[in-house]
Amino acid sequence: MRTTVPAAVAALAILLALPAHAAEHVVSQKGKNFSIKRLSVQQGDSVKFVNDDPFAHNVFSLSDIKSFDLGSYGQGLAKSVLMDKPGVVEVECAVHPDMKLMIEVKK
Amino acid sequence: MKALALAAGLVLLAAQAQAQISNAYVQVLQTTLKPLLARDGPDAAHFRGSLVFFNYCVTCHGPNADGKGRAAKLYNPAPANLRESDKNGQYMKLIIRGGGKAMARSEFMPPWGEELTEEQIGDVVAYLQSINTRK
Repeated sequence: MRTTVPAAVAALAILLALPAHAAEHVVSQKGKNFSIKRLSVQQGDSVKFVNDDPFAHNVFSLSDIKSFDLGSYGQGLAKSVLMDKPGVVEVECAVHPDMKLMIEVKK
Repeated sequence: MKALALAAGLVLLAAQAQAQISNAYVQVLQTTLKPLLARDGPDAAHFRGSLVFFNYCVTCHGPNADGKGRAAKLYNPAPANLRESDKNGQYMKLIIRGGGKAMARSEFMPPWGEELTEEQIGDVVAYLQSINTRK
């Protein structure tokens, strides 16, 4: 009992530290476009980028709050990014310069 | 009567001269208003290649092709300085077509073979060779 109580308290603390409703938002890449142009998410949510085109995409962002490069990945593959800071994330595709997506990450 | 015939002949000549001038003027206008398509050749390939470069490659390699594009901050090692590249045209075509990973270079250099035509790849290589400072 002495050992289980601190463990339970620690587990509860971890749970409280995590975002209450972390969600996963799915954005498709199809026809050399993102499926949406703007997306609003909560801090702690993740965005899953699914390639539904028969050729590779290379999703990246140079935004201050979240810069990343998911590399080149082909049809049917997906990669996720955790939006862990509030602000605006501009997402692009390195292979298709006309592809743009704006993600607003709310506190 | 002779004078009348002479006058009529002069008027006819003047009209023909005016018509020739008008035709020449129209030809000049047509040529200048509708520029001829550039003949193919090294200069045309460099020009076409620069358009490809500034549309697709500039994000990482930068407008000066020195590896200092706006996305360069994401990568270590930095994107290649193509101004000082010692690679030949065949190597460049391979790494553009197949990507960096296929050539044991940066995995962040995408494979462009699905996006660019062989002509575009050839043109961008011709452009890069034309601005190379090592030659």
